[in-house]
Amino acid sequence: MDDLLRVESLGIKFGDFEALREISFSLPKGLLVGLIGPNGCGKSTMMKCISKLHTHWTGSISIDGECLDGMRPMDVAKVVASVPADSPPMYGMSLMDFVMLGRYPFVNKVWWESPEDEATVREALRTFGLDGLRRRQVSLMSSGERQRALIARAYVQEPKLMLVDEPTSHLDMKYKLEVMEYLQGMAHKDVTLLVAEHDISLMARYCDLCIIMKEGGIFTIGDPKEVITEKLIRDVYEVDARVGFDTDGEIYVLPKKRVQG
Amino acid sequence: MVDEEKGKGPLKGIVAFVKKAYRAMERDMAPLDDDRSEISIKRRRFAVIILVGLFFAAVMFLVSIAISSGGIIPLSDAIDALVSSISKGGNDLDTVELYIFQSRLPRAIAAIGVGAGLAIAGCMFQALIRNPLVDPYITGVSSGAGCFAIAIVVLGISLSALDDYSNYIIPLAAILGGLVAFGITLSVAEGAGGSATNYILAGTIVGFAFTSVQTIFLSMEKDNLVNVMWWLYGSFANITWENAFLVLIPAISISLISMLWAREYNLFLTGEDQARQLGLNVRRFKAGMMVVASVLTSVCVAFVGIIGFVGLVIPHACRMMLGGDHRLIMPASMVLGACLMLFADLVARIVIAPLEIPVGAVTALIGTPVFAYMLVKRGRDYDG
Repeated sequence: MDDLLRVESLGIKFGDFEALREISFSLPKGLLVGLIGPNGCGKSTMMKCISKLHTHWTGSISIDGECLDGMRPMDVAKVVASVPADSPPMYGMSLMDFVMLGRYPFVNKVWWESPEDEATVREALRTFGLDGLRRRQVSLMSSGERQRALIARAYVQEPKLMLVDEPTSHLDMKYKLEVMEYLQGMAHKDVTLLVAEHDISLMARYCDLCIIMKEGGIFTIGDPKEVITEKLIRDVYEVDARVGFDTDGEIYVLPKKRVQG
Repeated sequence: MVDEEKGKGPLKGIVAFVKKAYRAMERDMAPLDDDRSEISIKRRRFAVIILVGLFFAAVMFLVSIAISSGGIIPLSDAIDALVSSISKGGNDLDTVELYIFQSRLPRAIAAIGVGAGLAIAGCMFQALIRNPLVDPYITGVSSGAGCFAIAIVVLGISLSALDDYSNYIIPLAAILGGLVAFGITLSVAEGAGGSATNYILAGTIVGFAFTSVQTIFLSMEKDNLVNVMWWLYGSFANITWENAFLVLIPAISISLISMLWAREYNLFLTGEDQARQLGLNVRRFKAGMMVVASVLTSVCVAFVGIIGFVGLVIPHACRMMLGGDHRLIMPASMVLGACLMLFADLVARIVIAPLEIPVGAVTALIGTPVFAYMLVKRGRDYDG
């Protein structure tokens, strides 16, 4: 019963298109969960339902025992933080201001944040190695720095659940590993993270659990080392792939060719 | 000669003060490697903006009172006349006092209100619609207001019961027209889903429709075009004591009240989805603020007509100087907008005196070179 996130027979339709159907799963605290599936399988839609960007879903979602239905945006933001794939241009906003936005649900004063809020933000900036950049404009930072800034902003929301959308899509391999390490660090602090990502090898290496989706439904859930197989890749992605283990026992996935017809 | 020497002392002091304040601001803007609290830096910067801004606005205000098509009164005499005319309560004034009290003071007061109001309305719309080309007239307010105001002039609508209030019929019609146009824009845009693009498109087509009707009215009125010209391009010539505060008080109070939501405007810069995920009730905030900004624009437009440029460019200028925090941009826009409007009205009065040119033509002429300079200097690092 102490599940952090419980999703029961979640479904959503856009016109006639059934984007999600009969999604049910539950996640405990402090888990790094990979959400894997082809483009358009409903990963982002599901995350938008959980962060209440979509509201016309059927079924039920509850976080820490509280039903999402009756919660105001402010209350949702106190438990669920979202990390989008990228941020729009920010009109010259500084990194400090940008990360400070994450404190919005907690600041009671009308205008200025309190010193405690500032301390929280500075600590987050140090954690993610951004403190020296705090007066830099967000739009002038590199993709890797901006990704870390987005994670830092979610971090200062002190969430119980973090929804991360394609965190490594613009990053080179060094930053990919770095970002995943930061996310893993969050999971060790009892935050549950749901990470949608296309790099299956990376997910298999860092995640405690994998949710594999296909065509709006859940294909399978399990330990990545067990569920990621050549047959699964073929069934879900329609791609022939080589799935192997390197000398450390880590999984790697090597796509070879599309399955014809 | 004596006056010049009199003016030199304070002028030197003023220049030194401005230089010092500017240097202090530059120091604050530079990326330093120290451990000062960012919030306290920001608070101080806010105080500097308010002080420097109010100082400049006061100087502009006095200059605009001292100079006119009739000639230049020394600043000290202008201040004396201003103080004495106010202390006399507007009775038994000598020529200079009368001039200042009856014609220049109300204009300056209205210019402050309109400049501040339009600049902040532009700032609000740019943030809400997340588009740098947006100005306060984006939701069709100006076209609706113009259409209604000109309809009144052309059709000669005069209700005998309202004869005592004939000065207010055009402004009231303008406010009504602005709000009608905004109402149509709002319902079309929200019906389409309420996205920023929906608002821009809906506002543009509603604007076109009202402008067309306005053109039809104008073509019916061949003889009397001068009467409506002042309104179409903006002028403070019709401002008197009766309506100066009707512009100033609502414009300034709505501007100040909307500044309470400066932090929400910061959130809005991240896009509507992210703002919602960070805890803002985006739909309610946007609809509410659209109404506030449109009412503010209508109030500004009602008595003085359509003045462009200020609402578009002042917020950008402030963003370039101060970064992205609306807690600094909004107050800065207010004072800078007021300063520009005072100066533009001054130029409009004196440049081909005794005739006046529409102030809307002056704002852009003054502002464009300044803004172009800023764009060249800072445009590389500016993503607005």
